[in-house]
Amino acid sequence: MAFSTHRLLSSALPVIVVVALSACVKKPPVLATPPPPPPAAAPTVTTASTTPPPPPARPPEPPPIPTEPPVRSNALLPWNDRPIEEVNGPNSPLKPVFFAYDSDELDDAAKKILAVNADVLKQYPTWVITVEGHTDERGTAEYNLALGDRRALTARNYLISLGIAADRLRTVSYGKEFPFDAEHSEGAWHQNRRAHFMLTSK
Amino acid sequence: MATRTALIALTALALVAAGTAPSSTLANRPLFAQAGQQPDEFSITLRNAAMHQKVGMPDFLVPAGDTELAAAARSIADVLWNDIDFEREFYMIPRKSSAGIPAAPITALPYDRWAELGADAVLVGSVTRKGDEVVVQLRMIGVRGASQGKQGFGAEYPNCRMSNPRFCAHSIADDFHKEVRQLDGVARTKLAFVSDRDATRVVGRPSQTQAQGKEIYIADYDGANQLRLTANRSLNISPAWGPGGNLLAYTSYLSGFPDIYITNLATPGRALERPAQGDANAQNQMAAWSPDGSRLAFTSNREGNMDIYVVNRDGTGLRNLTAGRPEADLAPTWSPDGGQIAFISDRAGTNQLYVMNATGSGQNRLSGEKADRPTWSSLRFIAFTVGSGPGHDIAIWDFNNPGVKILTDGVGSNEGPAVAPNGRHIAFFTTRWGKQHIAVMDRDGKNIRQITEVGNNTFPNWQPAASR
Repeated sequence: MAFSTHRLLSSALPVIVVVALSACVKKPPVLATPPPPPPAAAPTVTTASTTPPPPPARPPEPPPIPTEPPVRSNALLPWNDRPIEEVNGPNSPLKPVFFAYDSDELDDAAKKILAVNADVLKQYPTWVITVEGHTDERGTAEYNLALGDRRALTARNYLISLGIAADRLRTVSYGKEFPFDAEHSEGAWHQNRRAHFMLTSK
Repeated sequence: MATRTALIALTALALVAAGTAPSSTLANRPLFAQAGQQPDEFSITLRNAAMHQKVGMPDFLVPAGDTELAAAARSIADVLWNDIDFEREFYMIPRKSSAGIPAAPITALPYDRWAELGADAVLVGSVTRKGDEVVVQLRMIGVRGASQGKQGFGAEYPNCRMSNPRFCAHSIADDFHKEVRQLDGVARTKLAFVSDRDATRVVGRPSQTQAQGKEIYIADYDGANQLRLTANRSLNISPAWGPGGNLLAYTSYLSGFPDIYITNLATPGRALERPAQGDANAQNQMAAWSPDGSRLAFTSNREGNMDIYVVNRDGTGLRNLTAGRPEADLAPTWSPDGGQIAFISDRAGTNQLYVMNATGSGQNRLSGEKADRPTWSSLRFIAFTVGSGPGHDIAIWDFNNPGVKILTDGVGSNEGPAVAPNGRHIAFFTTRWGKQHIAVMDRDGKNIRQITEVGNNTFPNWQPAASR
């Protein structure tokens, strides 16, 4: 069902550029309580109003050349057309948060980043992500597996408090096994004490 | 104590363990010493573990002209020397020191030359062919005084393989220690550990993090024959040998979260067991086998925080032993009798060493040191990691003399102790040689030996009994 809708809308691309582009990025949401399946033609409009807050209002008058709006609309949900590996790449829209040594507490900077990540997750309501807890190399292996577990859970709980459904947020701890920076310096350790947010399914 | 001199042949058990073809020649064969020979003073001192005699080992005798056999004989002698040296029951005179002393038959041993080196005895070996097999004879001969020329140990090992001189030597060493010192040697045991040496790229992980796969490896106890066991390009850690020496449990992230897998080395290719039945919401790691092999203790976060669980080998009987506490409980290890489990908990603020009954009752703290990764030894101590700074050290909690004794000397960071089945040796990993490497030392912290040399190597675990 989801596929046929998608294909139908994609085939409309050459005809109505604006509609097609906004349709591409809007797959039917896989939420816990999915809305009843709307008629074939309607979904683009209805889901558009339930998904993220729209960018600044468009002028109501019909623009002569609709180049500007499609670009902005595309920029809103650009990641759904990319492979998961790319979403999880260096330019991921989901930013890591960092922790103090031996701590699983979120400071203000971390909370700000999590708020941004929560916005991204609201924009992409189908995304299921895995929150990875990582540590620096100080401390023993098993201890760090537990610390990474707590970091991932703390970040996850904060995202839940910001309105993200719990079933979209998995956690995993890698302890000190997958450092961001393998050097043995305070700078590297800072980079490595983190929660990483990886897209698991779109 | 013992009333006769050594009359040994390699036991059938050892040969089955070696994977040698079953053969009717496995029966014990009394050899050199005459039946009914009385124990002499020399053979009695050999059995006295308090006596650290100096022992020399000349090159083994081989029939002239057989270069292949000569090479095998050299390997056997070198490995055997190392195996006996490892247990420290005798002071083994370095082979280099005695290189100038010619190999000679028993009847022509240059006793004066050996006495010059301070030898109390020499281990005289000879190697011959018999069909496809290599036959090794080994005797221990007194050098000085009244024991000069007397034989304290003599055995023939008829089933050695030209292709595996190391295993031949290990089998002889274990037999020798058993006979002469009533000691269960570990020469045929193996170590499992984790390494990133093959630098596999982890499947599905982007380049934004260093994500080299870590696989499980196996090596002989002395570091020889290092082989990769897993090849799933994921994170594989915490290997734990089952009591029989064929089963290996480990944690793998190959499904995207940690779960415990069991592989049987005797039946490769069979499906892996997953007794803890993990999923994304029930992650499991740090498996430890009960001594009888019927159960596993492990760490799981399935109730929201890390707790110690036990489960039967077949996945039934799951129980949370540390339920009802918000703190982390992890890294279980069973007591040798299976009645207790030691573990790590941060319920007092930092990770410390605790012990409880295997039912979960009677949870008590053993030590207030910041601690991790306990391993319970058969010799009434628990080895664990201590230290709160960037560096850690290996320590033991000794039940005979309760208290914490630190074994490593603060060189590099040292962690993850695993105890040899005879309790006399501890494997751990250390940064003292640069990267992370597996090391082995005696239980008093002496004789640190480097086992790995390539890549980063962590999570050693010592096979409790020799497998195939």
